[in-house]
Amino acid sequence: MKERLFRDILPRVEKPARYTGSEVNMIKKDWDSKSAKMVMAFPDVYEIGMSHIGCKILYGLVNETTNHLMERSFAPWPDMEALLRQEEIPLYSLESFTPLAKFDVVGFSLQYELSITNVLNMLELGGIPLCSAQRSDTDPLVIAGGPVAFNPEPFADFFDAFLLGDGEEVTVEFLDCVETNRHLEKAALLQELAQIEGVYIPALYEVSYHADGTIKSFAPSAEGIPLRVRKRLVRDLDLAYYPSQPVVPYLGIVHDRAVLEVMRGCQRACRFCHAGMVYRPVRERSVEVLARQAEEQLKNTGYDEISLASLSTLDYSGVEILVKQLVEEYGRQGIGVSLPSLRVDAFSIELANEVQKVRKTTLTLAPEAGTQRLRDVINKNVTEEDLLVAAEAVFKSGWMGLKLYFMIGLPTESEEDLQGILELLKKVKSIGSRYSRRAIEIRASLACFVPKAHTPFQWQPQAGISSLEEKRHFMLKQKMKNVKLSFHDSRTSYLEGVMARGDRKLGEVIHRAWRMGCKFDGWSEYFSFTTWREAFAECGIDPDFYVRERSRDEIFPWDFIDIGVDKDYLWEENERAFQRILTPDCRQDGCVSCGVCPQFEFEPFSGEGA
Amino acid sequence: MRLRVEYSVGPELKFLANLDMMHLMERALRRAGIPYYLSEGFNPHIRLSMGTVLPVGIWGKHEYFDLDLAEMDREDFIYNMNLALPPALSIMDCQQIEENAPSLMKIINAAEYTFVIEAGLDLSDLTTRIMQQDTLPVQSRGKNKNVIKDLRPGIYQIRIDRDEAYDLLSLMVSINEPLNIRYDELQALFIEYGLFAKNIADIFRQGNYIKEDQQFYSPLKRV
Repeated sequence: MKERLFRDILPRVEKPARYTGSEVNMIKKDWDSKSAKMVMAFPDVYEIGMSHIGCKILYGLVNETTNHLMERSFAPWPDMEALLRQEEIPLYSLESFTPLAKFDVVGFSLQYELSITNVLNMLELGGIPLCSAQRSDTDPLVIAGGPVAFNPEPFADFFDAFLLGDGEEVTVEFLDCVETNRHLEKAALLQELAQIEGVYIPALYEVSYHADGTIKSFAPSAEGIPLRVRKRLVRDLDLAYYPSQPVVPYLGIVHDRAVLEVMRGCQRACRFCHAGMVYRPVRERSVEVLARQAEEQLKNTGYDEISLASLSTLDYSGVEILVKQLVEEYGRQGIGVSLPSLRVDAFSIELANEVQKVRKTTLTLAPEAGTQRLRDVINKNVTEEDLLVAAEAVFKSGWMGLKLYFMIGLPTESEEDLQGILELLKKVKSIGSRYSRRAIEIRASLACFVPKAHTPFQWQPQAGISSLEEKRHFMLKQKMKNVKLSFHDSRTSYLEGVMARGDRKLGEVIHRAWRMGCKFDGWSEYFSFTTWREAFAECGIDPDFYVRERSRDEIFPWDFIDIGVDKDYLWEENERAFQRILTPDCRQDGCVSCGVCPQFEFEPFSGEGA
Repeated sequence: MRLRVEYSVGPELKFLANLDMMHLMERALRRAGIPYYLSEGFNPHIRLSMGTVLPVGIWGKHEYFDLDLAEMDREDFIYNMNLALPPALSIMDCQQIEENAPSLMKIINAAEYTFVIEAGLDLSDLTTRIMQQDTLPVQSRGKNKNVIKDLRPGIYQIRIDRDEAYDLLSLMVSINEPLNIRYDELQALFIEYGLFAKNIADIFRQGNYIKEDQQFYSPLKRV
């Protein structure tokens, strides 16, 4: 098959190197001598999937430390897909060119709600029945993990199992169980798998609904199946596996650099933030371990840049020491350090300066909202003064541009808040103009707020498409020179919101939308909202149902998933938002009683840290 | 010192674009711990200069780059680089050259392309018919696509060899100056003279050369 691909197929597609494998550090294990065989399937193109740290971790973990085997597969771009279909070539893994259907386990990484149509597409191209119920003992188990899996219900029809929480904790246990119970029929195997903490088997649960469509009950349909599924958690990042020789792609990918994960979780308590809630509590890696990992990774990959990744890298307690150490050590060789996100304060900018001794990248700050009132509502503990001081530090240091992130459609938002964004941009620009004779460029990215499961705003309505469009027009009316506003697509965000708080009934709609041609929905050139609308209509499902405001006592489709944070805490945070009461950073000011530390037997922060 | 390096790119890597190839080489230089020199300035980069671009879709047996680095034994350079490079790519030879030697792009003016063609076709008839022509006009595939290019003066030699199941049709042609002949223009020419695209199983570049009078020299030999 490989020969045929190289000779007849790949010369006809755009970016053939997406489909060839054989990259530096690829691990190709002997197929026949290995236990469980899994393919990590990423429902987006190679350049995106290969940029994802979680997949790199699991790939190394399974291949380097166990007797199982893990290969990789990515969503083929539509040109390649057309050729695969036309030439009847099944979607294959990049290591051994094995069709997906031949693996024991096909595991999808769900990073984005709208990648689900690509999951269906890849299953079909791989020769695997789409729904869990249609798959027999001889078909692979189809599983998923990643942040989207914290509300797995809209996708329940398609997966045999979801793995919740930190993958390095649960994946190997899952594969061990698959291998040990290889002789069992699928139904019995699923029962066994359900015993593993962090594994959710949708087929083993039943849902009933009230007349208004909300959930009446959600419970296991068999004996011995847990009522709630608790996520898995890495307790000590220093002891956790981290790849020292990740695959180095041949073609340029989105994050084409070595990556260190300095910490997991975030303690800032922004009320809109999904990752901030589901990845609690904060766990840090020590500077010593990170320095060693940097050395190994750079030696084994030859990258010229190393990025310090986490949800909020500037909050990592060792960030200053680590950055200085890395710059000192590798700067001479032309190897740069990069910080993916900056906090809105002068310290961040000073550190960014340190980093820029080697290479200049764009600086990005995220005030999220335009007025103090609204920033208090969302608990973004940043003042206008912080922002202006940070901006001043940026331009003083010679940067010619700045990128700012905001959201529109936040709870309680009014015209004043939108105007506030514009005023803020004006102020930032005027600071820049004082320091530079050339024109400086301000870019603002405006995302549409999407209420997510497991966050304090899970009860809140999502702003409708027409209201978001009005907001956009309002803001675009006031043109400013050298200030560029870019808005996320409101219809894409709407659909994302439907999925984010959706239930099992959406499976039918997703299936239909995919049948009608939907795929690559996260890519504006392929997204067809009209088709999705038709799919909803044909299934008799009103998508507005999922973006509505919800009452306190409603049973949510994701309530049975235990992320460790109490629902009462989330509700209280929701209430506090409307009273404009701030919730402090628990690492700075002590425990805020979200519940996660006692739940996982961690020592809560006393408030003396960081 | 400046080193001129000869390497081969196997069929597995034929789909890499020029920039990908450059990054691959730079990363291998870092993995191998080669004492490369960096450029001055705000955005320092390795002082590496790649020779003629190997087009996407074809592989090459003799490709070249120049590199500035601190003193290093050439055998060590070859050994360390080959440990760091993927199996489909290997350094075959290298030669120290003058710091002010003209760049590869300036001196390479010929290349040999080999078309791997299904056996059983009358290739000698094809080549005879082609070489008999005074002019061989072909639509340019280069930057200016509207130009009709005459390939004839740039085709220096044609050779036919037999492999197991295939015939190998090799052409020594002018590249860069005076005439830049691309492999896809040669392919278009064959098709015009009766070959089918499906007859061509593979294409590779045998090598890059410096043509002086009627002689072809390796860039390692004639600096």
